[in-house]
Amino acid sequence: MIYSVRHTTTYTYEDGARFAQCVLRLRPRDTARQTVLSSQVEISPEPAQALRQLGPFGEEVVRVLIDQPHHQLVISARSRVLLAPEPGMGLFASPRLADVRDQASRSDDLGPDGPATFLYPTSSTPLVKAITAYARESFADQRPIYDAAHELMSRIHGDFAYDVTATDVATPAAVAFAHRRGVCQDFANVMVSGLRGLGVPAAYVSGYLRTEPPPGEARLQGADATHAWVRVWCGIDLGWVGFDPTNAVVPNSDHIVLAVGRDYADVAPIEGVILTEGRQSLKVEVDVTPEL
Amino acid sequence: MTADDLPLETLAPEAAARLSQWLRDYAPPPGAPDELFDASGRPSLAWLKLLSHYAEYPVEEFNRRFGLATRHIRETGVSYRIFGEENERIWPLNSLPLILTPKDWRQIVEGVTQRFQLMEALLADLYGEAKVVTEGLLPAAAIAGARDYIRAMRGVKPPGGRHLHHFAVDLGRGPDGRWWVLNDRSQSPSGAGYALENRLVLSRAFSNLYDAMQVQRLASFFDGFRASLSATSGRADPRMCLLTAGRFSETYFEQAHIARYLGLLLVEGDDLVVRQGRVYVRTIEGLKRADVILRRVDADFIDPLELNNSSRLGTPGMMEAIRSGGVAVVNILGSGVLESRALLGFLPRICSHFLGEELKLPHVATWWCGQPGARAFVKERLHELVIAPSFPGLGQADALKAPSLLSDMSEANRADTLARLEDRPFDLVGQEWVRLSTMPALRGGKLVAAPFVLRVYACAGPDGIKVMPGGFCRTSERSDARAIFMGEDAETADVWVLSDGPVERVTLLADKDEVAVRRLAGRLPSRAADNLFWLGRYLERAEATLRLVRSLRASLMDPEQGAHAAGLTLTALEELLIEWGALDASTLGAGAAEAAHRALYNRDTYGSVISLILAAQRTASGMRERLSPDFWTLLGRLEEQLSENAASSTTPDDALTQTEAVLRVLAALSGLAQENMNRSAGWRFLDLGRRLERGINTCQWVRILGIEAATTDDLDLLLDLIDSQITYRARYLVGLALTPVRDMAMLDPFNTRSVAFQILKVKEHLEALPSLAEDGMIEAPRRLAIALAAEIEIADAKAMTPETVNRLEGELESLSLALADRYFQQGAQATPKVKMTGLA
Repeated sequence: MIYSVRHTTTYTYEDGARFAQCVLRLRPRDTARQTVLSSQVEISPEPAQALRQLGPFGEEVVRVLIDQPHHQLVISARSRVLLAPEPGMGLFASPRLADVRDQASRSDDLGPDGPATFLYPTSSTPLVKAITAYARESFADQRPIYDAAHELMSRIHGDFAYDVTATDVATPAAVAFAHRRGVCQDFANVMVSGLRGLGVPAAYVSGYLRTEPPPGEARLQGADATHAWVRVWCGIDLGWVGFDPTNAVVPNSDHIVLAVGRDYADVAPIEGVILTEGRQSLKVEVDVTPEL
Repeated sequence: MTADDLPLETLAPEAAARLSQWLRDYAPPPGAPDELFDASGRPSLAWLKLLSHYAEYPVEEFNRRFGLATRHIRETGVSYRIFGEENERIWPLNSLPLILTPKDWRQIVEGVTQRFQLMEALLADLYGEAKVVTEGLLPAAAIAGARDYIRAMRGVKPPGGRHLHHFAVDLGRGPDGRWWVLNDRSQSPSGAGYALENRLVLSRAFSNLYDAMQVQRLASFFDGFRASLSATSGRADPRMCLLTAGRFSETYFEQAHIARYLGLLLVEGDDLVVRQGRVYVRTIEGLKRADVILRRVDADFIDPLELNNSSRLGTPGMMEAIRSGGVAVVNILGSGVLESRALLGFLPRICSHFLGEELKLPHVATWWCGQPGARAFVKERLHELVIAPSFPGLGQADALKAPSLLSDMSEANRADTLARLEDRPFDLVGQEWVRLSTMPALRGGKLVAAPFVLRVYACAGPDGIKVMPGGFCRTSERSDARAIFMGEDAETADVWVLSDGPVERVTLLADKDEVAVRRLAGRLPSRAADNLFWLGRYLERAEATLRLVRSLRASLMDPEQGAHAAGLTLTALEELLIEWGALDASTLGAGAAEAAHRALYNRDTYGSVISLILAAQRTASGMRERLSPDFWTLLGRLEEQLSENAASSTTPDDALTQTEAVLRVLAALSGLAQENMNRSAGWRFLDLGRRLERGINTCQWVRILGIEAATTDDLDLLLDLIDSQITYRARYLVGLALTPVRDMAMLDPFNTRSVAFQILKVKEHLEALPSLAEDGMIEAPRRLAIALAAEIEIADAKAMTPETVNRLEGELESLSLALADRYFQQGAQATPKVKMTGLA
């Protein structure tokens, strides 16, 4: 299936801005089953400088400098992505927790696809005792890792309310967990933190969902903005498997990966520093449509 | 040295008695090596020699010498801190140094040099191909957990090719008598400034001993370090900065000291900007390129754009500049990864892999629990080993922040640790429990055995690796290494490395012929200019407030109090104090005495004299390296004096005397600035702040006291406030009249207190300051000053209305804003910044 993705971010500054320096991660990542056919970013006003580089997690990073006064900054990304469906993971036998842990700590891969990097907490996704204890319930009876992660995902989906007013981009997992509510980012943070607490490598994934579902299916939560889900390392043989706790599904043909990192900070689509005195407002539009 | 060198038999009887008493008292605990006595109980000759020298001083003489030197250095040196600021650690200095014999020192130098080479090779590999990992010498998980493994640095080649420029190790003497490594310090080793300070104190107190004992000097090491920093840039006369986290950093004063000693510009993240892959310092002369940055900020905080986005200490774009080689940052970002304990167990193999030799300095035996074999071993010896986090910092539960024996942990922490060992074994290491070796220290006249840790510094330059012949030695009363790192009851000691032969004297004074004469210091950073300007304003406002308070108090002493105190004048003064934030509105009506007291000492109002002095101190502490020790001492004394006065209950008479005493200290401070500060841009900003503030304050006084309805009391008071009684009386024999008083306060260009005089001074300063404009046009602040000067020159005191005074005051305020805009904010590079992170 080929998707066309449009992702437009508009910042409006009440008193105007004199200067902006940003980092963009807007080109979807190539993965085993996802191929980026084309991708471009348009920025208005015209940047004085735009440098393209590969980031530490295999993502494309564009560093942009805008040094002219402006009232509005529009960053518009368009991509075409070819997506192959996920083979049915549930059919394979997966290893137990203790084996996953040992394989991860013995790994000789320090890169962005190896498990070691994703074993450890970060400043925005620390380990939280209560979340670890919550996750542990899914790992009873030496249950294989895939089944346990799947159950954890379903429990988060069942126990947590999707509530766009409860949290913001900086809300720590512990707070979202205590209130049992939040958005995709919070669900992903809770799952990542819980798994890492048990010594399972887990990654934070940012990406997109297909906007309109195929006929006869329900529209997924988070389809009108960027989405976030989780990847779990299920041992050397199975490798990384996606889990979307917001929708309780294993990403298949509706999830397009933008970037994979240890936490939101590693994959934030747009980050930057601007010079303005007044308030700013932000509008994000995402549109993902299958090409026929 | 042989026993014949000992002056024992030549000692005077009292000295011999002192020495033998010391030795009788000295009882090192069994089970750990000691510096004075070896395993068989034989004393070290070098130590005996030193102790007999010390014994020659009568007790009082000894204490006096040492006390004097300590006080002098402490008041002017590194660790003198502002009263009330608790974040700076003071390390008390023991009078006895740690002595290292030439033989000891050779082992240390060889070992540290080898470890430095090993660490350089390991860093280069970890940020390059990471072959140690792919070839199985080191599991990826033993690196990935380090906060200081900076992934964005993979593949970045540092300028000059070197990753590690300076490095330190903490050493102790192991049970076998060899030196052991307790910790590696590779991020930005601290403490060398304290080592320098300790050397200054001891060499002041006992200068003769350094030659007698053939102690090696420290200066050439710093000389070499400076040269190695300079060489990294590849430019002839590079601009070098020390990047500090600012005055809230625990070792800020040490950083300022090192910056001054090495001749580096002390900068904070906000002082720097990145343009086109290069780093620049914001100065009053515009952006000036920075070539080398010695960082004392942890890597993660250095660039809020690409690294930790919550950092307020960094400079956006710094990573980009580093990547493109536009700046040399020393050590490279990510060097801190070498401080991980997880690494230690793997180092012997890595050493033979990279260097083809064995580690010369052993380190504390360490087992990383990420490996099944090591984990099993640790579990077996769980109660004998110290359990420590594998990686420093971040993400550790409280229970695991510091190395601990299980038996020392609380019930809850022990349970957490054991659970962690099951769930996340790679977070923990087991380490052999280290019992520190001891050295002699003098405490209360007694010679005691003090457990110690020695930090040794090394740097690498074009001529290879150099080890500082000395170090930073910390001692404790407890024999547990952990106590020292936590700073509990720690003392420090100078470190004497003895030489085989006579020692050459070296200082940082360069060869006379090689240094070109330069009359002006380097360019002034905008932040320093900003701070100096505000320091000037705070001090002047404090003085003006004190003058108001003095007038309030003097009125209480007036025999004709009725006429005065009941008058509108005093009320007007109190209202002005409220307007200035020295009093809160509730004070009105509480009486002049109470108002005066509060305006001086109330710390809750921002405009009280004490608050202003504290604000001046805070401002000054951000640029200590630019203020003379005398200035600093006086500033400290002001606060002390005010605090003491506030506590004592007094008669109105005493209160007046106290106020005048404080005014005199302030006067001394401004005299010091006038006479002892170089006429550089820095001095001009300090004086600009003072002049503008004084002009504004005088306008306000005239607005209240110099109006048509003014009584003679008002005019009298106004003359008091502007300190012009004597001048007036000498000039006018007719008594007080409005027009001449107003002229004296506002327009008289010869009266140093008049508004006109301040404006002329401001204009003079602005003419002397550098201009950014290349088109020859006059810059905004100067344009305003010229207009003001012209306006005041032609003004007439008789026709002057309150509106005129108001307007002048407003124009002075605009001038202050224009100054800030031009010199401090640097247009588009200015703060405030807004983060644009959003869930986009």
